[in-house]
Amino acid sequence: MVDNINFKKLWDKQQIEIPETKELIKKANKFKKNTFYKLVIANALLVITSIFIGFVWYYYQPRFMITKIGLIICIIAMIIYLAFHNTLTPLLLKNNLELDAKLQLKQLLMLKEKQRFQQTYLLNIYFILLSLGLSLYMYEYVAKMTLSWAIISYGIVLFWVGLNAFYFRPKILKKQQAKLNILITRFKELNEQLID
Amino acid sequence: MTFEEIHETYWPKVYRQCMGYMNDHDAAKDIAQETFIKVWQQLPKFRNESSISTWIFRIAVNTCLRQLDKDKKMPKSELPLEISEKKSINNEPQVQFLYQYISELPEIERIIITLELEDLKQKEIAKIVGLSESNVRVKIHRIKEKLTRKFQKNGR
Repeated sequence: MVDNINFKKLWDKQQIEIPETKELIKKANKFKKNTFYKLVIANALLVITSIFIGFVWYYYQPRFMITKIGLIICIIAMIIYLAFHNTLTPLLLKNNLELDAKLQLKQLLMLKEKQRFQQTYLLNIYFILLSLGLSLYMYEYVAKMTLSWAIISYGIVLFWVGLNAFYFRPKILKKQQAKLNILITRFKELNEQLID
Repeated sequence: MTFEEIHETYWPKVYRQCMGYMNDHDAAKDIAQETFIKVWQQLPKFRNESSISTWIFRIAVNTCLRQLDKDKKMPKSELPLEISEKKSINNEPQVQFLYQYISELPEIERIIITLELEDLKQKEIAKIVGLSESNVRVKIHRIKEKLTRKFQKNGR
């Protein structure tokens, strides 16, 4: 029977390889660059799209107010989405790692719950604004078409919008929420282990 | 302390701590690496408000706990023994059993016992996990009992 096992002695016998410090610093730099590039790419996409919309505006000179409002709504939709993306991503990556475990878990839990709420809310706003903007924008051009072409054009756009709103959006949401829910439950369990 | 010195002194400690948490060499190496990347990034901002070891272990422990956010694989402790053993053929069986038994504990217990085995003072452990010192002392005592029972049950 073993009663007095020297855990410490066994513990220290674990074999360890120490990587080169240089390698580690190289990896750290790469990691930093990757996070930075991801943010830059997302923002660059917004700028390019906005420039494109600006070009459309300038080149085709829309005459109806409604067309301009449509374009503006589309841009607003994208700005809202990105503004959120830009503020949440650094928060998620941020180093509240220097807190004690209990506080860190609490913050993480709060953040995840916020993320869960905003994911649903934000994605809905994004879809509504984008569909609305597109429908308004189209009106000026569709108004010049014959009735049957107008119906076909709007039909196609509305079908596409509907497909996104009622098929892809719930699917994306369900997947994200399921993942987040599991995480939140697990973090809550961890929190419970830390009750004094 | 320069980063090189910190790396040299603390890598083995952090590595063992992660190894106790994960019982998987590759995973432990990944987490230890992640920890030191954070240490490297944050070192210029480190003010001596807490001791450097508290600071480093906080980062290591939080990085371990955050694995939930990424880890899709089954924890190694839930795999049959043969598979989890393959990775650590170089260690003697008793050492392997200790790490395996620790990795089977609930997460916070794993963290507390690994820090204790790294010779951290109970006061420091309390500061890292955010529990009171007396609670940490009680927990350490119970965890050691649990581990002893596991060794006895398996006749080691």
